[in-house]
Amino acid sequence: MSQLSVPTSTTAKRRTVDPEPTEGTGGGLTIDVSEVGERLWRIFTSMRTALILMLGLAILGLIGTLLVQVPAGVQSDPQAYTAWLDTVRPKYGGWTTPMEMLQFFSIFSSIWFKGIIVLLTTSILACSVNRFRGLWKTAVRPRTRMTAVFFDRAPHSATIDVAVAADVAVTDVTRTFKSHHYRTVVERDGDEVSVYADRFRWAPFGTLMAHISLVLILVGALVGSTWGFKNTEFAVPVGSTVPVGNGTGLSVMAKSFNDSYYANGAPSDYVADLVLYKDGQQVAAQAVRVNEPLGYGDVTFYQAFFGAATDVSVKDASGATLYSQGVPLLYTADNGTRRVGQFLLPQQGLTVLVVSAASGEIDPAIKPGMVQLEVYKTGAGGGQPIDTQIVSQGKPIQMAGLTFTFDRERQFTGLMVAKDPGVIFVFGGALLLVVGLFLVFFFPSRRIWTRIVPGPSGSEVRVGATTRHDATFGPDFQKIVGEMELSLAGKSGN
Amino acid sequence: MLKMSEYSFIAAILSVALAIVFYAVAVVSVRVQRGRAAVAAGGAATFDGGTSVAVTSGSSTFGTYGTLVAWLSFAFLLASLTFRTIATGHGPFANMYEFSISFATGIIGVYLFFERRYHQRILGLIVLPIALLMLLYATTIPATADPLVPALQNNLLLTVHVAVAIVAYGTFSVSFAAAVLYLLQSYGVPRLPRAELLDEISYRAVVIGFPFMTLVIILGAVWANVAWGSYWSWDPKETASLVTWLIYGAYLHARVVRGWRGNRAAWLLVVGFGATLFTYFGNLFFGGLHSYSGLN
Ligand code: HEM
Repeated sequence: MSQLSVPTSTTAKRRTVDPEPTEGTGGGLTIDVSEVGERLWRIFTSMRTALILMLGLAILGLIGTLLVQVPAGVQSDPQAYTAWLDTVRPKYGGWTTPMEMLQFFSIFSSIWFKGIIVLLTTSILACSVNRFRGLWKTAVRPRTRMTAVFFDRAPHSATIDVAVAADVAVTDVTRTFKSHHYRTVVERDGDEVSVYADRFRWAPFGTLMAHISLVLILVGALVGSTWGFKNTEFAVPVGSTVPVGNGTGLSVMAKSFNDSYYANGAPSDYVADLVLYKDGQQVAAQAVRVNEPLGYGDVTFYQAFFGAATDVSVKDASGATLYSQGVPLLYTADNGTRRVGQFLLPQQGLTVLVVSAASGEIDPAIKPGMVQLEVYKTGAGGGQPIDTQIVSQGKPIQMAGLTFTFDRERQFTGLMVAKDPGVIFVFGGALLLVVGLFLVFFFPSRRIWTRIVPGPSGSEVRVGATTRHDATFGPDFQKIVGEMELSLAGKSGN
Repeated sequence: MLKMSEYSFIAAILSVALAIVFYAVAVVSVRVQRGRAAVAAGGAATFDGGTSVAVTSGSSTFGTYGTLVAWLSFAFLLASLTFRTIATGHGPFANMYEFSISFATGIIGVYLFFERRYHQRILGLIVLPIALLMLLYATTIPATADPLVPALQNNLLLTVHVAVAIVAYGTFSVSFAAAVLYLLQSYGVPRLPRAELLDEISYRAVVIGFPFMTLVIILGAVWANVAWGSYWSWDPKETASLVTWLIYGAYLHARVVRGWRGNRAAWLLVVGFGATLFTYFGNLFFGGLHSYSGLN
């Protein structure tokens, strides 16, 4: 095959490498930059590299599915991370520490993962650059004439003897190609005529599209993680307004929240009636459901979870209200029998925990209609509370010199707030990827060369083609040649 | 409607089983005859396949019956899925029962497509039992038609997601079958279809399956973005499908690398099918957002 002068990209841009090692000056301390570059280029453009990187990534993915992965947010908090590791220790035993050191529990942010992604991206870009010229040339300036050797050796070839001159034969040849939707290029050289025919000549760019789109998707992911944010624990108690933060100037008010269920107890719907404010002005209002998020600009609010909240108000000695808000009970404690929420009184330097019995739990201390309030010094690191009291709904109580009232129970709606400026690249890339793949695989590009030379009885038409593994080409080729024979035979009969 | 769906399902199981019997008889008798012919001719013991070789009527009749019954089972499966969709008001994606029937439908449909093109019933002898196992597995799952939990209430997107997935899974099953035959051949099992033909069938199957698998993952990402606000969260099922996709991507490149052609590429297909099954059954042993199996 290599003898065939087929203008595929590999032959068009094969780099010759000097087999002799370059002589180093100064005891081989200096490295020939161009040689190293050449070598790197060869490595990055090799299919073997692509193969190894893809399988390597697959192995990391497998590790990621088989091993428990540390939840987002836990890893950045050393204390929580140690505690989390202790929860998986029983499962993995002595392997836990080495696996932790190899970053197996956070495989998708590990050095291995990032390394492979960087290498793969580099390799994809190198391959695309490498292939572009060949693809362009094949599509725009294909080699239209082939020598006799080509037809002798082409995997698909046929010879038709006809009784007419080359000029006459060429019209039948081109007509046959045209009727099969091929484009033809005719070239004359003396009494010899070459007809080059191709179909879907732009389709091979699908490969290029597919590869570049992968890079685009990765760029989108990078943009999203650099300039976006994601708050998975944004809880808004019904009736309260909570600022979004992250420099958005937005705040969300939940007018209501409803969870409904089917007869068998499975959830059927979660709806939160939300109002969105920007710098105090209402800018949007919508019933947000699981599949119906609320979008404002590039920030999107998704219904994610829900739970119980308590309205608590705090007054100082003069009767001024320091705090009056719903407190979402976001956390569980004591093996899930209690639910806990917290809020801050920044001026007083106090942190207040609100504890209630989880729904359906009977708690000997905290009865229905009661919550336990715990007041701590902010930043004391979980030490002893200044004061702990169990309070009934509507009964003010004195703690740390302030008056606390548990006003009522509410629900909160848990939202996921996300801003992802990279999403457009990701889905743009995805679209490009699919289009590219369908182009490559469902529009196989075809190229057939024909050479008409004077022969013993008139002219000789030689047809030849090479293809990589394209199974449907063989029968098509036979069909085209058959039709050509038929129409040329009609000519010679005249 | 649910009853009709179940009857069609049972009819499909019976007809797949019957088709397998016919295929087995047809394949065995064809191979035996060809073996004799090959010995008589003193020639090679590998063959191009169905149409070009003259086979006496007895075995080819069995083959035709087998094909007919296989088509029948495909029709029953489609009917079962259609009835169920009408009854439940949503596509067959809500639990493992529905998805197993879909998977089997995809396997048989894609196989029949390849049989029309390549006439290799021996492939069916590997593919159809996989479909049968899928269906038998479905019988072990309660067929209750549960209403949809909120995240799954995205009918169109999910129906397309599943429809595309079963085509992908079907092609991967066919490529797996061809790869197994390829490997058997290379380890010396006589009278199988030509190695190049098997290689080509595997490749064509992946060529269809790979873009479809890509689409499956993308549609999943679109859905996740709409439902959860994040197109990718390394949920185990997502990750497993990415692993599957990467293995088939590697296979496409492997066929170009000289040292990887042949057996190693065939092994990749076997591993790829393993990954496909892992992705499919994954929700049984890992939790995550896709835990809709209906088995808890
Ligand atoms: C996840 C990563 C990748 C994916 C999904 C991917 C996908 C594909 C697909 C679908 C094809 C078409 C196969 C065929 O025609 O049979 C292809 C071909 C190719 N890929 Fe990749 N690829 C990836 C990475 C790479 C890398 C890293 C390289 C460079 C080392 C590379 C180089 C090539 C080349 C040279 C071709 C052949 C193009 C042709 O024959 O027209 N690919 N790739």
